[in-house]
Amino acid sequence: MTGTTVPEREDLRRSVRDLLDRFGDDVARQDAIGSESGHSTRLWSALAEVGALSLTVPEAAGGAGYGAVEQRVVLEELGRTLAPTPFLGTVVQAATALVASGDPAAHPHLERIASGATLAALAVTEGDGRWRTAHFSTRAELDGGTWRLTGAKDLVVDGAVADLLVVAAATESGPSLFLVTSSEAVERKELRTLDLTRRIASVAFDGTPAELLGSPGDAPAVLDRVLDATMVALAAEQVGAARACLDASVAYAKDRVQFGRQIGSFQAVKHRCADMFAKVQLASAAAQEAAHSADREPDRAPADVAAAVAHSVCSEAAMFTATENIHVHGGIGFTWEHPAHLYFRRAKSSQMLLGGPAANAERLLARLGV
Amino acid sequence: MSHRLAHTEPTDLEAFAQSARDFLDASADRLEDETEVEWGAGEDRISYFGDETPEDATRLVDAARAWQKTRYAAGFGWITGPEKFGGRGLSAIHDLIYDSIEAEYDVPDTGVLSLIGLGMIGPTIVAHGSDKAKAEYLPGMYAGDLIACQLFSEPNAGSDLANVSTRAVRDGNGWRVNGQKVWTSVAQHAQVGLALCRTNPDVPKHRGITALLIDMNASGVEVRPLRQMSGGAEFNEVFLTDVWVYDSYRLGEVDGGWSVALTTLMNERASVGSEGAGPAARAISTPFLAALMGENGCLDDSHARRRLAELQADQLATSYLNRQALDHLISGGQPGPEASVSKLLYSQNITRAAHFAAEVVGPRIVADTGAWGAFSWNELLLSTPALRILGGTEDIMKNILGERVLGLPKEPGGDAATPYRELRTSRSGS
Ligand SMILES: Cc1cc2nc3c(=O)[nH]c(=O)nc-3n(C[C@H](O)[C@H](O)[C@H](O)COP(=O)(O)OP(=O)(O)OC[C@H]3O[C@@H](n4cnc5c(N)ncnc54)[C@H](O)[C@@H]3O)c2cc1C
Repeated sequence: MTGTTVPEREDLRRSVRDLLDRFGDDVARQDAIGSESGHSTRLWSALAEVGALSLTVPEAAGGAGYGAVEQRVVLEELGRTLAPTPFLGTVVQAATALVASGDPAAHPHLERIASGATLAALAVTEGDGRWRTAHFSTRAELDGGTWRLTGAKDLVVDGAVADLLVVAAATESGPSLFLVTSSEAVERKELRTLDLTRRIASVAFDGTPAELLGSPGDAPAVLDRVLDATMVALAAEQVGAARACLDASVAYAKDRVQFGRQIGSFQAVKHRCADMFAKVQLASAAAQEAAHSADREPDRAPADVAAAVAHSVCSEAAMFTATENIHVHGGIGFTWEHPAHLYFRRAKSSQMLLGGPAANAERLLARLGV
Repeated sequence: MSHRLAHTEPTDLEAFAQSARDFLDASADRLEDETEVEWGAGEDRISYFGDETPEDATRLVDAARAWQKTRYAAGFGWITGPEKFGGRGLSAIHDLIYDSIEAEYDVPDTGVLSLIGLGMIGPTIVAHGSDKAKAEYLPGMYAGDLIACQLFSEPNAGSDLANVSTRAVRDGNGWRVNGQKVWTSVAQHAQVGLALCRTNPDVPKHRGITALLIDMNASGVEVRPLRQMSGGAEFNEVFLTDVWVYDSYRLGEVDGGWSVALTTLMNERASVGSEGAGPAARAISTPFLAALMGENGCLDDSHARRRLAELQADQLATSYLNRQALDHLISGGQPGPEASVSKLLYSQNITRAAHFAAEVVGPRIVADTGAWGAFSWNELLLSTPALRILGGTEDIMKNILGERVLGLPKEPGGDAATPYRELRTSRSGS
């Protein structure tokens, strides 16, 4: 149940937007893309200061104890600007796993995530990159009271900068989650990415010391919650990005003149913008419903269904608006210098990260009981 | 500059085909059977525009020139060209026969020369050039010595191409040219460019344009690369500052440049049609996509199979359409505005196939995990938005079909009768 009012959330939006205006403009984004960490540490600490990193962290762990409804505000703004941050890996994926584990030992980590002191990532997928909750080839074994991890993880969002890794691995008691805080016997490699504004790494473990998170065999239940939280978070981000593409297209269609007229006066362009708007409206409704459902508000759709619906509809909206935005801009939209391609890259990447449309179709049908 | 060997022209097509085979057997290797894809073999790239280092780009351009030179020396470099200017003087069907035979051989890609220079600018020079311009440029272009580019688009003249503002002012026995062109493909490799210039601003825009051949090495020509979203820098901005051009390098009449431009554009659209899937052909062929599906474990997936079937049906039907259109040209028909359908299909087929491939690859499309034939699809995927824009956008193609083929009225408010000088160009600027 949400603990904030609409005006409070608008205040939050304004403060995040203000930060992004200062530390997340086109130049800052370009600097972040080229930097070693892949993000602006100034922006990250500013986000921590306004409380944007602690929204979904429980009060017992030093957070605000809010939910997806509040986090959605931040994610929409991050999606709108594509300011590169380790938000998805740290605050969405790793923190959700820590919270869902119900393990009090996770609290200090959550506190440090909320304050911006710790960056974290969740290492689940392996060779084929497909999301899974069991059948890991990465293994954990007890070695004189210490768990040791061996195996390789691919497509770890924010994996290279993470101080804390939450790792899914097979054990004799079933798939379990582990915390890795040392860099001993951990090999990380930043991967070349489609999305230039989101870092993804591969991480290999070779007898790496780790701590068990929660109880052995817990991984599937925790990862199910992480999957839904990721879909809900991506949806909010996609709505922000889709709206940015729509706004950019509309502004350009009003400004650009060809044949003596604003191109927005040509019905082909006008209808393209209207189609973008319709997609954004639908996506926004789906993302909103998914967030409120996730927070267990009464009279909302079942949370699992709403999350899969949002992932489907918002992925499509982001992809469509990013593609059409390039087209409305003509030649300029196809250049490296223009930000339009960054939205295309983000849209395709977010659409595919959790398996893509085919995987999500099956997910949705299963949740609908088909 | 090399010269074509003297030939007794084979009169019948069989003999021509045999001579082409003899030449190719002697000069190139046959391609392996395309229906068998060895997954993981060869370079892991699925490119469209290319993203080479400058050294690699130079190497590829040199290879293209060398092959064109070989082809030309053997009499297959300009099959339809007038003999007076180094062509073979044969029919379009000979050209088609040669192309289909050459497709069986492993020869360097000559796109950098042929797509724009030989495919579009060459025919325009033939149709509109002075004898001096023809003699000076055509043999060199078709012999692979000269690369030509299309200096048409400008910042304020894209879809509205007739709105060009690059000024050419009469100066003695030539012209003084000032202005800026943009999106100029292959300008970085080109020795000559065909520029549309404003010569009379006091008449409606279509009636005050003159077409000039610009020596790209002349003083005052500056080429600055533009990087595309797919990574490479294959197109450019071209700044023209007091560039001097002799009047003999004018194509068509003074102020008659628009009909010159139409010749180029007609050839552009016709060439897209005959191109098949262009540089993407291998990647989006049935065997390659089927191998991709097999590799990703979805060869038995009914949804994936249906999408592959739909893609291939559209691609094959497009090839039938193009083939029939070519037959029409060969039997003496004129290229018409219907060719815009092919251009729409071209970009649609490649775009849909690229997205399909990305979905088959799955999450490994998002980052390069080192798997062969996975992340590499991004280069094609990131090229697809351009296919809807270059050579006249999708919307302009649809306007052509609606207005010129179907006879539907234009959208109101056209500016075709207003003198260029009184036109509004940029909203923020006006
Ligand atoms: C990769 C690439 C290579 C290129 N190579 C060359 C080259 O070698 N030489 C060259 O001269 N040019 C080249 N071009 C330029 C290309 O021809 C132009 O980009 C194209 O004509 C569109 O012009 P524009 O970019 O100014 O877009 P605009 O004309 O400004 O169009 C913007 C949007 O408005 C729409 N629009 C405009 N007018 C109408 C209308 N009347 N009705 C409906 N919709 C409309 C367009 O479809 C588009 O979506 C290249 C472009 C690309 C992307």
